Amino acid sequence: MKETAMGSNKIIVCIKPVIISASSGTARSADSYELNPFDRPALEVALQMKEKRGNPVIVLAMGPEPSAFVLKEAMAMGADAGILLCDPAFAGSDTLATSTALATAIQKLTPFDLILFGTRSADSDTGHVGPQAAAFLDLPLVTGAYSVVPLDDGLRVERRIDDFREKYEVPFPAALTIQSGSVRPRDIGLLEMVSAFEEKELTTWRLKDLGLSPERVGESGSGTAVISVSKAQRARTCEFIPGSTEEQADRLLGRLLASGLL
Amino acid sequence: MDTFLSEKNQAVRRSVRSFCNEEVCPIAREIDREASFPWEVVEKMGKLGYFGIQAPKKLGGAGLDTMSYVIVIEEISKACASLGLCITVHNSVAVFPILTFGDDEQKQKWIPPLAQGEKIGAFCLTEPNAGSDAAGIEATAIRQGDHYVLNANKVFVTNGGVADICLIFARTDPQAGPKGISVVVAERGTPGFVVGDLEDLCGMRANPVTSIRLYDCTVPLKNLVGREGMGLKIGLAALDIGRTGIAAQAVGISQAAFEEAVKYSRQRRQFGLPIARHQAIGAMIADMATQIEAARLMVYRSATLRDKEKAFSQASAMAKLFASEISSKVTDMAVQIHGGYGYSRLYPVERYYRDARVTRIYEGTSEIHRMVISRGILGG
Repeated sequence: MKETAMGSNKIIVCIKPVIISASSGTARSADSYELNPFDRPALEVALQMKEKRGNPVIVLAMGPEPSAFVLKEAMAMGADAGILLCDPAFAGSDTLATSTALATAIQKLTPFDLILFGTRSADSDTGHVGPQAAAFLDLPLVTGAYSVVPLDDGLRVERRIDDFREKYEVPFPAALTIQSGSVRPRDIGLLEMVSAFEEKELTTWRLKDLGLSPERVGESGSGTAVISVSKAQRARTCEFIPGSTEEQADRLLGRLLASGLL
Repeated sequence: MDTFLSEKNQAVRRSVRSFCNEEVCPIAREIDREASFPWEVVEKMGKLGYFGIQAPKKLGGAGLDTMSYVIVIEEISKACASLGLCITVHNSVAVFPILTFGDDEQKQKWIPPLAQGEKIGAFCLTEPNAGSDAAGIEATAIRQGDHYVLNANKVFVTNGGVADICLIFARTDPQAGPKGISVVVAERGTPGFVVGDLEDLCGMRANPVTSIRLYDCTVPLKNLVGREGMGLKIGLAALDIGRTGIAAQAVGISQAAFEEAVKYSRQRRQFGLPIARHQAIGAMIADMATQIEAARLMVYRSATLRDKEKAFSQASAMAKLFASEISSKVTDMAVQIHGGYGYSRLYPVERYYRDARVTRIYEGTSEIHRMVISRGILGG
């Protein structure tokens, strides 16, 4: 495969609206959500590829109505259109049910060249959705992609993991998760913001638009259930060791040896 | 706080805040210290549309509403008041008067480069002997054939050291009193256009505030903005929106000082407790938050009135008066909460304290604002 400037099939970037701060009893509004920071580099890679090859970039997210805000931000960064999967039936979806819904939506968007994901999300941090959706769609997948070079009918991808650089060639259509430090996402200009709000198209797809049965999404389509969420308490105690400096040093040394830390 | 904002307004706030956190906050201390103008960041701001916030899209602007404008100014000023000043002055008292009173040829010529930050604008009204008494200016623009010959000594010109397009307030009819004042554009580089030394100011040090002197500077008659004699009308209209911008700037500086004070009061321990837990500090934090919130709402009200094309002059004057005065109080309290460290250059609150002070002086002193507001109420 050789490097190229050809190609025009869609690039779909799956982005996640994450809650900025969870406070119970507060109605969620647009400003409660932000675009998962780990998804921004994936969008940047898509936009750079669009500049080179002309592929239209579609951003796809699942979430309640107010979370459409993050799709607008993604469109202000340069995505051409946004699709929000929004239906009460999606509530409570775990990563499996989310991947099912996203993959079904992606199938509706065929043909496409590339599906991009962040490596993980800032809130639940599982890193499941990209690989699960790729498996569902039976696409070749490279996770943690650090650099992406478009070829005639595929990509050359470098993956950096555990101090190793792995190089892959993958044919289109393919899926990648993009390493967060690999590119700096662009700043959003005011004019682009106006254009995202006034000119670009944001579509909402309900469950019936996906043609999925309600059992495959939401809590019933989930393989896992979150039983409870609570804030982890980090207990730190401060203890003053008495005695002269020498005595303090001896006691500290004794304690560290006894605890196995030394 | 954001109840009054559209999603677009909120998105604007978020994008500007993100840019400022990445690009402006890291240099704010240094450019204040060195009194240097950060061209690299300013060029990025130009590309992002900050120099043409409300200019129409067809002239290269972002075409946003006044609410977005005040949000941009607040956010930039929170990171660096000197850059907030550059942007608000450029947008409100340079771009706006050309857009509103200029003819098509002037708009086509000057707005696109101004809106994209390729050229920077300045508003040259103040003179050594005419500040609050704007009608007392001595600069002249005398017709000679198809030109005006400008002679002026303008001082305290915000952006003066970097401005390309300067709105000069001058007497086209020296006998006609206030009605003989006009606005004529002089471009940097015109023979006789001289940029003076940087003013060595207490705050806003990263803004190149200078004097601008014009010695027999000859510009074409078509550089007249509006008609002859309209100068004070144009100036006052520009200051109406300019003052809302300065109010937003004062809110931004106050917010920055407040956030630092909250952070410090949680970290600093005295008498075995974080000082935030001491009642006197808590009361200061409460007063700061309340005053900032009130000032911000006044700014939003002025912006909303303007967006609804309603009279907003009084609202703008009140917002400017209140926001600038509370910014002095809030930044003073932030210094106080920091104690000795607040008076040290190690912490940013001393910069906020210095920067806040001038908001009570420029674009109309607090005293002039009280006069304007009382006249609005009492007449006369």
